[in-house]
Amino acid sequence: MKRMVEFTVNGEAREMAVNGCCSLLDALRDEVGLTGTKKGCDVGDCGACTVLVDGEPVNACLMLAVEAEGRAVETVEGLQPGVDRLHPLQDAFMRHGASQCGFCTPGILMMAKKLLDDNPHPSDEDIRFGLSGNICRCTGYTKIFDAIKSAAREMEATRP
Amino acid sequence: MNMTTPIEQREFKIVGKSVKRDDVLEKVTGEAQYTGDIKLPGMLHGKIKRAAIAHARIKSIDVSKALAYPGVKAVLTHETVPRVLHYGSPHPRSASCTKDQYILDHKVRFWGEGVAAVAAISEEIADEALDLIEVEYEALPGVFEPEDAVQLGAPLIHEVGPGGNLVLDPVRVNRGDIDKGFAEADFVLEGTFAGGRPHPAYMEPNVCVADWDGSNKLTFWTSTQTSFMVRGILAEVLGLPLTKVRVLVDHMGGGFGAKQDLFQHEFLCALLAKETRRPVKMEFTRHETFVAGRSRHPCKIWLKQGFKNDGTLVARDMKLVYDSGAYGSHGPGVTIVGTTAATSLYRCENVRLEGRCVYTNTPINGAFRGYGVVQSYYALDIQMDEAAERLGMDPAELKLKNVVRAGDIAPSGHPIIGHGLEICLKHGIDVLDWTTLRGRDRTPDPKRPHIRKGWGIGCEMHGSSAYPGIKEQGNATVKVNEDGTVTLLTGAAGLGTGAHTALAQIVAEELGVRFEDVGVIHGDTDVVPWDIGAFASHTTYLVGTAAKMAAEKVRAAVLARAAMKLQVSAEEIDLSEGKVFLIAEPDRSMTVSEAMGPSRGIPAANIVANGTYEPTKSYSFAAHFTEVDIDTETGIVEVKRVVPVHDVGRVIHPIAAQGQIEGGIQQGIGHTLTEDYVIDKKTGRSLNAGLVDYKMPLSMDMPDIETIILEAAPDPGGPWGAKGVGEDPIIAIGPSIANAIHDAIGVRFHHYPITPEDILKALREKGA
Ligand code: FES
Ligand code: FES
Repeated sequence: MKRMVEFTVNGEAREMAVNGCCSLLDALRDEVGLTGTKKGCDVGDCGACTVLVDGEPVNACLMLAVEAEGRAVETVEGLQPGVDRLHPLQDAFMRHGASQCGFCTPGILMMAKKLLDDNPHPSDEDIRFGLSGNICRCTGYTKIFDAIKSAAREMEATRP
Repeated sequence: MNMTTPIEQREFKIVGKSVKRDDVLEKVTGEAQYTGDIKLPGMLHGKIKRAAIAHARIKSIDVSKALAYPGVKAVLTHETVPRVLHYGSPHPRSASCTKDQYILDHKVRFWGEGVAAVAAISEEIADEALDLIEVEYEALPGVFEPEDAVQLGAPLIHEVGPGGNLVLDPVRVNRGDIDKGFAEADFVLEGTFAGGRPHPAYMEPNVCVADWDGSNKLTFWTSTQTSFMVRGILAEVLGLPLTKVRVLVDHMGGGFGAKQDLFQHEFLCALLAKETRRPVKMEFTRHETFVAGRSRHPCKIWLKQGFKNDGTLVARDMKLVYDSGAYGSHGPGVTIVGTTAATSLYRCENVRLEGRCVYTNTPINGAFRGYGVVQSYYALDIQMDEAAERLGMDPAELKLKNVVRAGDIAPSGHPIIGHGLEICLKHGIDVLDWTTLRGRDRTPDPKRPHIRKGWGIGCEMHGSSAYPGIKEQGNATVKVNEDGTVTLLTGAAGLGTGAHTALAQIVAEELGVRFEDVGVIHGDTDVVPWDIGAFASHTTYLVGTAAKMAAEKVRAAVLARAAMKLQVSAEEIDLSEGKVFLIAEPDRSMTVSEAMGPSRGIPAANIVANGTYEPTKSYSFAAHFTEVDIDTETGIVEVKRVVPVHDVGRVIHPIAAQGQIEGGIQQGIGHTLTEDYVIDKKTGRSLNAGLVDYKMPLSMDMPDIETIILEAAPDPGGPWGAKGVGEDPIIAIGPSIANAIHDAIGVRFHHYPITPEDILKALREKGA
């Protein structure tokens, strides 16, 4: 039995019919058509599917789509402040080589955004701890740490 | 051949700079399309029924209930798919592969092997239908360890091959006179070593999509490092000409070597799509990437070496046994490469090596970064440390004394040209002030009396290209468009290493245009020139040289065209940063765009050229210096700091090269301390096929890494001396950790992973 569910994705209202067992991840990828959010395990172990729901990071594979009813979902596709502009985190990930295969990147970017929103001056330990639920198998994390620190400085410098 | 050509020196404009990677722009915005993101109209979902038994004959298989299940469109079994014996690994007809697979067989050889496949309108329905397939097995006795598999009378896993559960005839290498060597030795060290079964655990589970058109042509998207090999084997097994198979791969979420096989699910996906005449997607669960993926070959090694009292190595006798799992896959290549690698690293004139590769009823082991060498150099490097201890010498000094040098015969059989290990070692010793570090006060910190600190060194060398096992060919096509922009067509896969960016840098540099003006087309076997695949750390070396050759040709043609337009001779002009100018009169110039575009009487044109390169091999080198903290109460080893010193020849993109090194260290720390894909020795069942139970180093576990890249020994075989870097780091880090553990607590471990239980047990035994 399908059920109607309505929530916003990156600020846009979306309405769709989903099965009760459909995860938010599958709803985003298959129904909304936003495939930036990745499925690395589908059981909550890897963090590739991290999105923000009402500003809080969740593993979209562990949340049912129907649980998102009335809530605000943010995905990697909503990170850019404008068509030709990158979020400082996106830019820093490019400059510092923080993305290799890129499969972990959307989830890590969303987690890092949350981290910097809450804590504009994170210590190295804060960053390590903040990313402890996101697996990256390519980079050894070194360049991801560099990129997040660099984005934090950039955001600080441009904060009004 | 490449060894005599001098390396061209020049002021680089683009090479050596960490230019922005275009592929990364797509990745940070979420636009990058991976195979799993593809959704075609009418697409079905495929799933595989996997055996819950490790060795059995299928007596009967009843799919009637599954076929009748609403939403199911097709079910395939060994009775309904073509029965063609085929290669699993990607190098058909080369020495490094073996033909031992059927798409589906009437026999099961490992727990988790596919026995049937379903296509349905949704993944859920396909999954449910799997439970409706009834299989009756006749259980066969299984063998789960190579030692048991080679016993006389052990159950035979395959009907093909040399017999006795061997994947190939033993690999033997003899150099010098081993008996004479041992007779000259002042002392002999002998030991056994064992490596576990680390799994690559790339973040993107294997996935493919198949679609047939009305002309019986298969379009096949798949996450592979070797699209042309996939095309070749698919065509061969399905009985199609190569023109009827098109393989596509845009972005892929990692591979680390393991996505080089042609997997069972790939054939089944293609056949389900053919049967249903609808597109079919097949996506592994994380559990399946373990069970039906490929891991590193577990390995048992016996090593005996003779030394003189001055530290000279005079004899090396080594036997290696690699566990191939249920199929050959890369077993032959891994055995040949891993065994012959032991001729080198530390020079020794008298060498006797024997490598075996054995079938067992366990999941398949395949190619993985460090291809057989991770295992053999772990043993060589640790025993070198033991020899230093015995001699009362600093291991750094003993290693320096014995490392290979220019002119020594490499594992490939030809003399090493660019040799950088000595320089890497010396550099690390200097920057760390190693001698002081070793002589430091070892009293534990009174605030943390249970912590012991240790430092260790690990050395390695690794070839770029699979020569001589495979005579490789690299290809590139370069087109200069009518507006002066440039298109590079390459078959090299985009694993995420930044290879396409490096190739574009090489073309821009050689041709004399801006980096931004070069676009890269890849990932479509119908469009790009043939490629052997992304493996053996060779893309920059092999395809990079081919791209440079093609760029050199189009450059000459652009100069000729511009000369005509400027009404001068081609010798009088030069080309740099997108501009053609008179050497004597640099102000008289035209852009490449003007040269290519139309002018009175001359229509716009394209200039196209190909480069084809068939190299031998170069070697890259590294010495890793590693600091560990060991908690003597919990047994936990924490890697605190790594200083990896690498020689990679000419660096094309520094950040990408560093990224390879840091990622390799992450995986190597895992292999050495926490990662082991465990198979139950009684049933062959997987015990930890998931990302929680299979423990990899994550953000909290990473040490400080201070990467040092030296352009110490460029190799004339690569573009401006560039060599490979992808595999080297994972080889050196392991022994550096094992040696650091010994430095910290005085215990030698000869295996990996070295678990906290191992540490505690050893400390107890030592205390007793
Ligand atoms: S896909 Fe959700 S945590 Fe892995
Ligand atoms: S970049 Fe590949 S998993 Fe992080």
